[in-house]
Amino acid sequence: MHAIVLLKRVLDPEIPQTAFSLDPERQEPAVLRHPFVLSVFDGNALELGLKLREARAGDLRITALTLGPRAAEDILRKALALLADAAVHIVGEEDGLAPGVKARVIAAAIRRLPAPDLILCGRQAADWEAGQLGGMLAEALAVPCLPFVSELRPAAGGFDAVQQVESGQVVHRIAGPAVLTVTNDQGNVLRAARIKDVMASRGRELIVFHLRELVPGAGGAEARAEMLSLRLPAPRLRAEIVDGEGPAEKTQGLVRRLREVGAF
Amino acid sequence: MAGAPLHKILTVVWAAGGASAAARERTQAAAQLAADMKAEFAVLALGLGTGTVAPALAVAGANEILVSEEEALQVAPGEAGLRAIERACELTGADLVLLPADSLGRDWAPRLAYRLGAGLVTEVTDWSLAAGRPIFERLVFGGKAIATMVVAEGRAVAATRPGAGRRDAPPPSGRGEVRALGLPIPLDPLWPRVVRRQSEEREGPGLDEARVIVSGGRGLGGPEGFARLGDLAAALGGALGASRAAVDEGWAPATWQIGQTGKTVAPELYIAVGISGASQHLVGCSKAKTIVAINSDPDAPIFDYARFGVVGDWRVIVPALTAAVKEMRDR
Ligand SMILES: Cc1cc2nc3c(=O)[nH]c(=O)nc-3n(C[C@H](O)[C@H](O)[C@H](O)COP(=O)(O)OP(=O)(O)OC[C@H]3O[C@@H](n4cnc5c(N)ncnc54)[C@H](O)[C@@H]3O)c2cc1C
Ligand SMILES: Nc1ncnc2c1ncn2[C@@H]1O[C@H](COP(=O)(O)O)[C@@H](O)[C@H]1O
Repeated sequence: MHAIVLLKRVLDPEIPQTAFSLDPERQEPAVLRHPFVLSVFDGNALELGLKLREARAGDLRITALTLGPRAAEDILRKALALLADAAVHIVGEEDGLAPGVKARVIAAAIRRLPAPDLILCGRQAADWEAGQLGGMLAEALAVPCLPFVSELRPAAGGFDAVQQVESGQVVHRIAGPAVLTVTNDQGNVLRAARIKDVMASRGRELIVFHLRELVPGAGGAEARAEMLSLRLPAPRLRAEIVDGEGPAEKTQGLVRRLREVGAF
Repeated sequence: MAGAPLHKILTVVWAAGGASAAARERTQAAAQLAADMKAEFAVLALGLGTGTVAPALAVAGANEILVSEEEALQVAPGEAGLRAIERACELTGADLVLLPADSLGRDWAPRLAYRLGAGLVTEVTDWSLAAGRPIFERLVFGGKAIATMVVAEGRAVAATRPGAGRRDAPPPSGRGEVRALGLPIPLDPLWPRVVRRQSEEREGPGLDEARVIVSGGRGLGGPEGFARLGDLAAALGGALGASRAAVDEGWAPATWQIGQTGKTVAPELYIAVGISGASQHLVGCSKAKTIVAINSDPDAPIFDYARFGVVGDWRVIVPALTAAVKEMRDR
């Protein structure tokens, strides 16, 4: 059994607003001093793969795959340190690729690998927050898609996938190859790698493809969304700090202020 | 922008068991957009029992209402719903499809756009118009920046967040003509199929209707903290929410998560306790009328966002606040 986990390298999403700025010329964040990390939901997806392998007593091959510049190799090494079996790097810049084309490029790479039973990706990348690739990749591979999965269990004839929806959870039975997009829950926080596995991952071979050699299959001319502008939100006023001698006075003061502004 | 104006809007609502307030609101926003664009407007209502929702959707401005009550929608809502939407696009000739940015709409949007060869904009928070085409706003980088997007040529699909396109004056009622979609949807054995639904059980109001929400974050330090927040929420007749960190720690269920990838809430009063104020969290509560922050760190970013702040350890502040609220109530 084979699972492919898609990993994207993104600008650290935890950078506070005060440290975040834009390059107006290039219409993207000014990244000079900012670190890059593995996109958070992709970490949850990798953890689901690792858990499923444990539930299947090791009978699951996990391939990590990324499309990105040379530097994105870091996140593949991270996956290898967490004992992914193989890592695939499609070297290239995704900027400028329409999302449907990106899906077809990744699909083309996947077709060169042992056929997967499952493809796991994040519900949305933690940079542009599109939430598009999983569904489009499912289309490009002509398999079903199930979004917002937080847990996977082996079940008769396939897997049970727990999906997070607004009102609670829905359990779906998955019978054949599918793309699952993953959302966070307490059970799928990405584990930490052991030092010795980190060391061992450094020398591992990657499977490398170049973006330009992966000719996206047919898909015709497609419309696409273009960005017209990118701006920072308007700053808010600083909170009115309600102070006093001790907690009782502070909170009574707060209640008074809330009544004055009609919040009660 | 060279593209021709769009002329037919289709919006999709999941209406099993009735048209929810959210479905009516989205219909209304889409009807208003259609009126502004001088475009035609149809609604596709999906789910068992959908036939009865027509009057409510008509009041919200729907002219043409296609309904599908196929059994497959219950068992495989994602796949079966996608089939129905594709069919509705064919029947109506829609060139702009508006889907909800919820667990179903986010499933359909990328797949529908791919099938139609349409341009896609997800997580839309608002729109305006230029040359007969909508310009969409969306939050990016966890709400730290705002992008405007346009699909300048061809068809467009958009997934819209709650409140997107809300205008003060509602559009006039629509004709509300109901038509069956007339597409049998056989179940494909390879489709994911629902085997169990587990609805969250909650005492008191839900997050979408509560007038007061008390939310806890990692600063609570453990699940017991939520019991204390529960006392405060009960005294205020409110509901409990959580940050992603608290959900990831296992102190609160995922259905309580508020934020960019959790729920979007709009209560009168939002009390954030032990929450630092990451942009991804604030995106979910920015529509609250009044935000109060309780945090031991006077430099926490949440104090740059809340209307009122109390600096202190929640362990002493929250019980004192609960007492102060009860005192006010008893007076
Ligand atoms: C793509 C993406 C999507 C995300 N979506 C969401 C989302 O939907 N919702 C969400 O919430 N987050 C989301 N996040 C995560 C977000 O970036 C933050 O990591 C998260 O909100 C932090 O949670 P927190 O404020 O509870 O924890 P922390 O940032 O750890 O803050 C804890 C706070 O508690 C305070 N504190 C500590 N002890 C006490 C005490 N005794 N009394 C009072 N205060 C105390 C500290 O001063 C600190 O400010 C998302 C992140 C990404 C990348
Ligand atoms: N360049 C990429 N390389 C690998 N995976 C990606 C890439 N872009 C997106 N993904 C995957 O698709 C998910 C959704 O991305 P997006 O549609 O861009 O929000 C991400 O969480 C990743 O798992």
